[in-house]
Amino acid sequence: MNSNTKSSENQSIRQSFGETIFKLAQNNPNLYVVSMDLKSSLYLTDFARKFPHRFVECGIAENNAAAIAAGLAKTGKTVFLCSFACFSPAINWAVIRQSICYNNLNVKIVGSHAGLMTGDLGATHQMLEDIAIMSSLSNMEVFSPIDAVETQKITTILSRSRRPAYLRLVRQSTPILYDKKMSFTIGKSQILKKGKDITIIGHGPILNEAFEVQSQLLLQKPNISLEIINCSSIKPLDFETIFKSIKKTGRLICLEDHQKNGGLGQMVASQILASKFHPKFIHLAVDNQFGQSAKDYHQLYDNYNIGTKSLVSAIKKIYG
Amino acid sequence: MLNFNHPLDHLKTELRRDLLNMIYQSGSGHIGGSLSSLDILISLYHSDIFDFTKDHFVLSAGHLACALYTVLASKNYFPKKLLSTYTSFDSILQGHISASVPGVEYSSGSLGQGLSFAAGLALGDPKTTAVCLTTDGEHQEGQIWEAAMFANKYKLGNLINIIDVNGFQIDGSTDQIMPLKSLAAKYIQFGWTVTTVDGHDISKLIKVLKQSKKSDYPNCIIAKTTLGKGISFMENNFKYHDVKNLDEKVYLAAKDELQY
Repeated sequence: MNSNTKSSENQSIRQSFGETIFKLAQNNPNLYVVSMDLKSSLYLTDFARKFPHRFVECGIAENNAAAIAAGLAKTGKTVFLCSFACFSPAINWAVIRQSICYNNLNVKIVGSHAGLMTGDLGATHQMLEDIAIMSSLSNMEVFSPIDAVETQKITTILSRSRRPAYLRLVRQSTPILYDKKMSFTIGKSQILKKGKDITIIGHGPILNEAFEVQSQLLLQKPNISLEIINCSSIKPLDFETIFKSIKKTGRLICLEDHQKNGGLGQMVASQILASKFHPKFIHLAVDNQFGQSAKDYHQLYDNYNIGTKSLVSAIKKIYG
Repeated sequence: MLNFNHPLDHLKTELRRDLLNMIYQSGSGHIGGSLSSLDILISLYHSDIFDFTKDHFVLSAGHLACALYTVLASKNYFPKKLLSTYTSFDSILQGHISASVPGVEYSSGSLGQGLSFAAGLALGDPKTTAVCLTTDGEHQEGQIWEAAMFANKYKLGNLINIIDVNGFQIDGSTDQIMPLKSLAAKYIQFGWTVTTVDGHDISKLIKVLKQSKKSDYPNCIIAKTTLGKGISFMENNFKYHDVKNLDEKVYLAAKDELQY
């Protein structure tokens, strides 16, 4: 299965976000959107039309927008601050740090177009550092949904929480992995596929690459089974589920469309080093490089060693 | 030199003495700007124009914490004896303004963010007034102008930005570091109502604040002040932007000048 091909199963994560917010706003008069001139990209046009007084358009001014959101939150609103990740939280990080996190206010920062998956727009728009800068903030929670269904669940839960949070979204339409009945819990990872030999952890739609590799393995090396864990709740992170899995497999691969420094893999590695477990470990992430344009993001995944080929090599290396 | 012509003017010396004691006892503080902004804060908190149980005050220039703490203590938000614990471990009185202190709504320290925050309050709570205190040096931050655009777009008539214009910043005069020329002209261009006032004249400050409360447009009050106001050797001397371990002789000389 090539996740870039248009299958009927593919759905847009950012569209799911926009539609969910629109639905939630109908029953929650306290829900506000603060926009930075990207309402159509985040599917917020309906929200803006139906709820003009709760749609605050700040224009191309991310610093102001973050503190406007904080001020609105201080008056009791639940505020979603929506843009591309390369602008918010990248440009306005210091405002998020002081006005939202230090003041501990109910603002959800929604950053779309994360990762190399952003494709043709190139390096400036392929945000690869957002998890590093956001997970390092006190009071901030960080989430990276895997598909449109999980995006809907996380968005709904965030609309009910009163804490600051960051929601990482991607540009592309991606395969649906979850049933509509799935339930998401903050601080819980989900085992997507049980296995006994190698634990694969990650966040976001890149985990589809692990499923593709698993189906290849079934044909070539049917004796190797992967346990695939979706760590969509990056902060707080469910170490218990990961530890249980590596206790069984003794092997861990972390796959993420993000920089190695400050990514999920490093958070997990740091906990593992301090634990009694000592699995073999490989971290597949972008390593100290900027991205570049490509029509098909799989070209980038291959080139930056986070695609299926690299995952297969990692599996061979860690298993052998 | 301090001038006295208003019934609240006795507070000018009283609170300057509290402020000086606080900075002397705790060993540090941004004294120059605190002295330039103090009379503005007295006018805000000791008049009956605003009800800060409902209205909002945002100290965007968080380093002026000493001045606000002194004024809040004088209004019994917390006991005055706490002032000497400023910047001590476990004290609520953090070095830069902190919402852990009763009466403080917004924690700040990184310049340029407070005006946006106040605009968010003004938009979210339209029946109240949001007053923000910024400084002239702070207007070098681009975010201030983003907030100025925003307040104009949303016609935030319940937003007041008081700018403490003392002409200095940490390393020298604002004209040397980054000249901005007329702030009034810029705010008028951005669609605000602008009033200029002597930032040490409490009667005039109160009059301007009353006028600004009833407005259809966002309000900018340009308060012309003197860095280090009230202590002659600190006035217009940017070395007194902040002080560490004030020498006893300097402290006593300063105290000597603060007579009503």
